[in-house]
Amino acid sequence: MSAGIYVHVPFCLTRCGYCDFNAVAGMDHLRSRYVAALLREADLVSGEWTEEEFVSIFVGGGTPTTLDPGDLKTLLTRVRARFRVRGDAEVTVEANPDTVDAVSLERLLAAGFERLSLGAQSFDGHVLRALERVHPPEAVRRAVRQARAAGYRNLNLDLIYGAEGETLESWERTLLETIDLGPEHVSAYALTIEPSTPLGRKVRAGLARPPDPDLQADMFLLAGETLASAGYQHYEVSNWARPGFACVHNLGYWERRPYAGLGAGAHAFRGDRRWWNVRPPEQYLQLVEAGRAPIGGEERLDSFDAYLEELLLRLRTLRGVPASWVYPGDAEPYLEGGLLEDRDGYLVPTERGMLLLNELVLGPASGPAGPGRRDAAPGARAIPGPGWPARTGPRTPPWGLLTM
Amino acid sequence: MKPGPLARHAGVRRLGAPYDRRGVTDTSRIRNFCIVAHIDHGKSTLADRLLEITHAVSERDMRAQYLDKMDLERERGITIKAQAVRLTHEVRGQVYELNLIDTPGHVDFTYEVSRSLAACEGAVLLVDAAQGIEAQTLANFHLARDAGLAIVPVLNKIDLPAAQPDEVARELAAVVGCDAADVLRVSAKTGEGVTALLERVVERVPAPGGAREDPLRALIFDSSFDPYRGVVAYVRVHDGVLPSRSRVRLMAAGIESDAEEAGVFAPEPTPVPELGPGEVGYLVTGLKDVHQVKVGDTITLSGKGAAREPLPGYREPKPMVWSGLFPAEGGDYGDLRDALDRLKLSDSALHYEPETSQALGFGFRCGFLGLLHMDIVKERLEREFGLELIATAPNVEFHVVRGSEVTVVHNPSEMPPPGTFDVVREPVVLATIITPSDYLGAVLELCQSRRGEMLDLRYLSPDRAEVHYRLPLAEIIFDFFDQLKSRTRGYASLDYEPWGYEEADLVRVDVLLHGEPVDAFSSVVHRDKAYQYGRAMVERLKELIPRQLFDVAIQAAIGSRIIARETVKAKRKDVLAKCYGGDITRKRKLLEQQKKGKARLRRVGRVDVPQEAFIAALRVDQRSGVRP
Ligand SMILES: Nc1nc2c(ncn2[C@@H]2O[C@H](COP(=O)(O)OP(=O)(O)O)[C@@H](O)[C@H]2O)c(=O)[nH]1
Ligand code: SF4
Repeated sequence: MSAGIYVHVPFCLTRCGYCDFNAVAGMDHLRSRYVAALLREADLVSGEWTEEEFVSIFVGGGTPTTLDPGDLKTLLTRVRARFRVRGDAEVTVEANPDTVDAVSLERLLAAGFERLSLGAQSFDGHVLRALERVHPPEAVRRAVRQARAAGYRNLNLDLIYGAEGETLESWERTLLETIDLGPEHVSAYALTIEPSTPLGRKVRAGLARPPDPDLQADMFLLAGETLASAGYQHYEVSNWARPGFACVHNLGYWERRPYAGLGAGAHAFRGDRRWWNVRPPEQYLQLVEAGRAPIGGEERLDSFDAYLEELLLRLRTLRGVPASWVYPGDAEPYLEGGLLEDRDGYLVPTERGMLLLNELVLGPASGPAGPGRRDAAPGARAIPGPGWPARTGPRTPPWGLLTM
Repeated sequence: MKPGPLARHAGVRRLGAPYDRRGVTDTSRIRNFCIVAHIDHGKSTLADRLLEITHAVSERDMRAQYLDKMDLERERGITIKAQAVRLTHEVRGQVYELNLIDTPGHVDFTYEVSRSLAACEGAVLLVDAAQGIEAQTLANFHLARDAGLAIVPVLNKIDLPAAQPDEVARELAAVVGCDAADVLRVSAKTGEGVTALLERVVERVPAPGGAREDPLRALIFDSSFDPYRGVVAYVRVHDGVLPSRSRVRLMAAGIESDAEEAGVFAPEPTPVPELGPGEVGYLVTGLKDVHQVKVGDTITLSGKGAAREPLPGYREPKPMVWSGLFPAEGGDYGDLRDALDRLKLSDSALHYEPETSQALGFGFRCGFLGLLHMDIVKERLEREFGLELIATAPNVEFHVVRGSEVTVVHNPSEMPPPGTFDVVREPVVLATIITPSDYLGAVLELCQSRRGEMLDLRYLSPDRAEVHYRLPLAEIIFDFFDQLKSRTRGYASLDYEPWGYEEADLVRVDVLLHGEPVDAFSSVVHRDKAYQYGRAMVERLKELIPRQLFDVAIQAAIGSRIIARETVKAKRKDVLAKCYGGDITRKRKLLEQQKKGKARLRRVGRVDVPQEAFIAALRVDQRSGVRP
């Protein structure tokens, strides 16, 4: 099956207050060892992946462009050498505006990184400050100009909405500025307060206000309208693309295609197994340098997990789920309530439905038998299909699409 | 279940324990007395010292605070079950039999206190020399004096540097109506003055009356349940003789039984051939149901030797406070019923009847003597039976009058709608509060805000005041004590006794979720406070009820009139954000967690309410004093 490779680069210039990714600032001295370790890990693990053909490579972070373009090139070359990567594979690198310039962008493109994902976040200076992002709005415009000048034909801008002080008007300006810059792809994420982050602690201490979910809902809908009218298709909860530019790599996650992961904390998935590398960069380095696979944990998905994931992931995208997967009648309230649409036998979330995905999956309440009993999971199929087991108790819709 | 007091001594003493071979005790050598004291003023410590000095307990056996039985009591520092020990002490060449009768020290048990007092001729009024007199002491002092007991005023803790013996002695003397010099000074801790106290008891407390020839009349002042021997009654013989084995009659209960053994606590239970007039001891009744053996009942002999008139003062123990107890989610109604059935074996004051709540499912409406009794029962259910419970806010019992018909309502949701009855009566109490004068204003304000009516105000000393209020019990059980403590920095003390039922303008406030009344949240409150209650309840629920897929109206209503309203806006966003670098595991786990959370929801009409919301909404807010 068409697989993807994710490569994680954990270094950042500074640590943003809301971020709970596996990212570190001030560890630049580890860079060259880290690149060497990535190369070594590719050597170590590629043997497991000989069956797979790879259609995407995604170098993310952290901030990959804190590495020298030369190093990134070496990395890409090694990955292409060790894995069966298709010639036309989508190759993405993430960048922050202030870690790239005209020269580095040219070198990255020449190295084969044909898709550039820029962490723009916002075009409102206040919002950027609230997010503790170091770049000014101008840096994004500059980076986009430089990327276009370098010859980039596939650009993504990452946006975040719902930071403290951001209004609907400010968000609309950010969206319009984004459209003005004409990227092929836009990702827009609702700011989420993660408890372990500095922002999370501030919120708990009452020093910062958590995002207002209603305002974020309005922002989401506004993004949908604004981007749609500019020709972008809303193909996943947080992703919009011009026709033909949906991100192959990210679609792999939603479609539950296999993926390999290289680097600290990277996740990999194949069949019924998901595993992940140790998160701390130092620990990762030590293991790889000792010639060992840096695996930090794994899980085997039983048919219930697989079903739950499949439902959850498919409903994030326009693929939706076949109507036959759902008990007759269970979807009715959502179809009537405008959260789902029936498109040629597929249940596809509407814009409002995407906002309430958890409700769609779980439903608003439990029944007498309790929801989602693992033992009642459908057969041994990894991929669910029609023909669910008999129900354990009466259901009162709306109940969620998850089969009990 | 905890073994009863006799079981603790099972074995050695039970099998062939020797009878107490002393001859019949001359009543002139008997003294029956109790100790009246506020919590922590040193009653238990003094009892220990008395046992020690009279060698009733060897020092090795001496468990600190011998008279307290239950663990729970020990932790709470209170005495629930009255008990009696026989001490023997020589004063000026004469050996006396001194029966120390322990009294419960909490307002929930006023009736029990009065029965214990009825078993005595004298009371040691014990006051902490550093703290001064408290309301409870005063209330029990009045009970003791009204019962005609001789009062022996005593200051305790004179060893404390903070003690103010002279001042407190003056206070005490003023209350008792004696000379300050008459107030004994002791330290229960060091033992100083305790022997003198025994002498004073012998001197001041009258010997009991009663004649051997008269028909038997013995007062039951307490009872307990022994798993091996059934119900054990603690008795005080007033007239006649109670033989060890005899057919007895319980006069109020109207039942007869073959009593198996009479005995005394010395302090171990020791069988005796008989209990003569004036004597205090126990009787193994031969009965198996604790409810047949009621505190205050009179035991007489069956047949010819029966007394005609019972001793005065008997009353049925009456629950004052009611609350619904429901198994928490996943808990079992059957387990709760079994636990209550078993608790009732040893707690005759506990009442319960099945109750069905739309919101909380199957449970029981339980009646308690008071808030403390309620807490004790809840705690025992949770601790001894491992149950997890949801309790509705406590309420009092209402008498709803329609013409000549009176309906007793102990569940707010059963209160009929306005206009369908003539009047409602609620229980009122006579409250005694003692407070430092500095806080008098705050105390009066509190009582006034709780529909109180002042009956009396006096000064015990220039800086301590004693106030008497008539207050609705409903106001007292609703956070009154905590409010009193917080407004007086813990210095005020409270005691109250039932006063009867009085008419009041009470209304039932219902809480509706999305148009459906939630029975567990209904409350009967005074009309003037209905709005405040309704407002507080809807506001609190607004915080507690998670957003649903539709707008949820939360309303408070009197009958069909809405008095407060809030809306929980429909949820618009519930989606997990970005998954990073393929970490789908985390996303799935979050969703699974959310799913578990949903399993704890209860459904009220179309609205899903988490169990925690019920618990939180039913909890009285200790700080604001506003329920919820
Ligand atoms: N210093 C001192 N402390 C005492 C005396 N009598 C009792 N106490 C302490 O006061 C506290 C309360 O005593 P306790 O007998 O439990 O009081 P009860 O609640 O009335 O039974 C305990 O910590 C005792 O040790 C005394 O005469 N002197
Ligand atoms: S740049 Fe991105 S990865 Fe780095 S700290 Fe900021 S948000 Fe996190």
